[in-house]
Amino acid sequence: MQSPNPISDYKYGFHKPENYAFKSKKGLSKSVVEEISYHKNEPEWMKNFRLEALDIYYSKKIPQWGGDLNHIPFDDITYYMSPTDRKVNSWKDLPKDIKDTYDRIGIPEAEKKFLGGVSAQYESEVVYKSIQKTLSAKGVIFLDMDSGLRQYPDLVKEYFGTIIPPVDNKFSALNSAVWSGGSFIYVPKGIRVELPLQAYFRINAANMGQFERTLIIADEGSFVHYVEGCTAPIYTTDSLHAAVVEIIVKKGARVRYTTIQNWSTNVYNLVTKRMRVEEEAVGEWIDGNLGSKLTMKYPSVYLVGKGAKGEILSVAVAGKGQHQDAGGKAIHVAPYTTSKITSKSVSSAGGRTSYRGLIQMLHSAKKAKTKVVCDALLVDDFSRSDTYPTMDIRHNDIQVEHEATVSKIGNDQLFYLQSRGLKKADAEAMIVNGFIEPIVKEIPLEYAVELNRLIQMEMEGSVG
Amino acid sequence: MSLIIDHLSVSLNSKEILHDISLMIKSGEIHALMGPNGSGKSTLAGSLMGNETYKVKGERLKVKVDDKDITNLKTEERAREGLFLAFQNPIAVPGVTVPNLLRTALNLSKNPPESKRAVNNPALSFSEFNKRLLTTSKQFNIPQEFLKRSLNEEFSGGEKKKLEMLQAVMLKPKFAIFDEIDTGLDVDALKIIARGILELKKNGTGIIVITHYNRILKYAQPDYVHILADGSLVETGNKSLALEIEKNGYKKWTNKIL
Repeated sequence: MQSPNPISDYKYGFHKPENYAFKSKKGLSKSVVEEISYHKNEPEWMKNFRLEALDIYYSKKIPQWGGDLNHIPFDDITYYMSPTDRKVNSWKDLPKDIKDTYDRIGIPEAEKKFLGGVSAQYESEVVYKSIQKTLSAKGVIFLDMDSGLRQYPDLVKEYFGTIIPPVDNKFSALNSAVWSGGSFIYVPKGIRVELPLQAYFRINAANMGQFERTLIIADEGSFVHYVEGCTAPIYTTDSLHAAVVEIIVKKGARVRYTTIQNWSTNVYNLVTKRMRVEEEAVGEWIDGNLGSKLTMKYPSVYLVGKGAKGEILSVAVAGKGQHQDAGGKAIHVAPYTTSKITSKSVSSAGGRTSYRGLIQMLHSAKKAKTKVVCDALLVDDFSRSDTYPTMDIRHNDIQVEHEATVSKIGNDQLFYLQSRGLKKADAEAMIVNGFIEPIVKEIPLEYAVELNRLIQMEMEGSVG
Repeated sequence: MSLIIDHLSVSLNSKEILHDISLMIKSGEIHALMGPNGSGKSTLAGSLMGNETYKVKGERLKVKVDDKDITNLKTEERAREGLFLAFQNPIAVPGVTVPNLLRTALNLSKNPPESKRAVNNPALSFSEFNKRLLTTSKQFNIPQEFLKRSLNEEFSGGEKKKLEMLQAVMLKPKFAIFDEIDTGLDVDALKIIARGILELKKNGTGIIVITHYNRILKYAQPDYVHILADGSLVETGNKSLALEIEKNGYKKWTNKIL
């Protein structure tokens, strides 16, 4: 292993193995942040970055918009835990509904244990190695963020925190202070990575941390599709997930980033995701949110180069006790930029979804175009859906389209499907799956299949 | 095998719409149900299929498929007993295709024991299903492209009716009710639909054709014609009754101003 920081090696006189067990004490403080950096053997600049971010975090108030963030037990959170220490759950302690879900969507035993937090490592090492071989032949870097920092400190330093600075918001500051895990990807000029890169291939506890940090750099004319998360519910006793995803799409490149998240329903899922899209480049977010207690996530595209394109597809499903506050943002900085935001949300069993979106067109965004379509589906009378679209337009020569619909599953639709032999819950699931189909068809098949099954189960649960 | 409607009275928003209807349809029979607008024909179709909007009452009331009393069964349970309704106005379900719906419907009939299945409704493998779907859709001049589109969305009236018929033939029900399947059809489509009815009849399905017009009955000749007026069955006859209606209308059977 290459050591990026000879000074600290000298200072402490030893080199820690990667899986050195360490768990920070509960709560956040300057010494906790310093300890994290020390145990990861980080360069000085990263330690300073973390400490500055911590100050910013302290200086910012908890947002009072979106969902209710006033009950996050900040002092009760363990902000860092090394991979080997994560083996915390015993199979028999997992909630029954989580185990049932694993069985019903039919995922393999080893994977179940990993997702349930029973084992720290999912044995996909072999697959990962063979993919790595193909990738490195092309000069593509695909590592977890900690290894990325160790092996490519200069590249990381150049871009880290440039798209989403700590000062962006309270939770990006928190992530910047205590981040761990996530992915680091670099695709060289003109290289097309044909297979989607999946975090799944190198899934391990480090990757699944609460404060993941992902950085993707797609150099000019390159292409990569990154897939993160999984449809199976991830059981965690941690109540806060605050990730940061930064992506740079250089001239003529294209990046698609697909996320399906299904955290257990005790989790606050607060993620900042942003792409900087340069001239004639294309940035695409596909973002699916099923689980968690509260999600606040608005993937954004900053269209900074002439002719840049951004697309955001968002699907959110809120069941009992859940609030999905999701949407997207497109900031048109350069002329001839185009964006499209499509949001589909489903509320059932008293769940709540909100579409929250921002379209901003600056003076410099001549001939920019945008289209926003947000559709909400209510499964029953006691669920809720809201729309908060914001448009900030500062140029006259632009084109804006906005469509929003709210519909409720109709008795006529149910009767029709039931007359073909489907139970009410099956009929509802079919209608819901049909409703989100335009987005689901964009995600990899194995995720789509699992997603459909999960919706089926959700509907059965809400009827029963 | 027979579908028995025994003293069925039905109300909607506490207003009685159907009064004491009794009817028996045997396997392989075609019954035409005719009547003026608002006479309760669609209400009968909907309540046979178990639409919960309608309140069904009557102490002696029974709806039976063979010996099985289905009066208290839910819509989907009636469907699994082999009852099928082709809708007058099939509703759109975005994102759901006809093959998707049919596959789900056929898979559902896999599990119950043999005796509970609809007539000849076997569990189909994926390729068998596709083959049958392809053949059947060709038979009804349904372009393959239609099968990729959302159910009943942006189809013409006639196309929707053909897709209803396609479903009926694929599902092979014991008893099928066609609620105004002939409205909005040109003469070629009408013949195609009539052929579907005859095919079902040949395979033993008992059929109720609800219609205003004699024209479909020319191609799919009924064994019986019933007249429903003001919510009551007022007359039963053979196909000549349909001809009489075509000539003279319903004046003879109703007090309503038509």
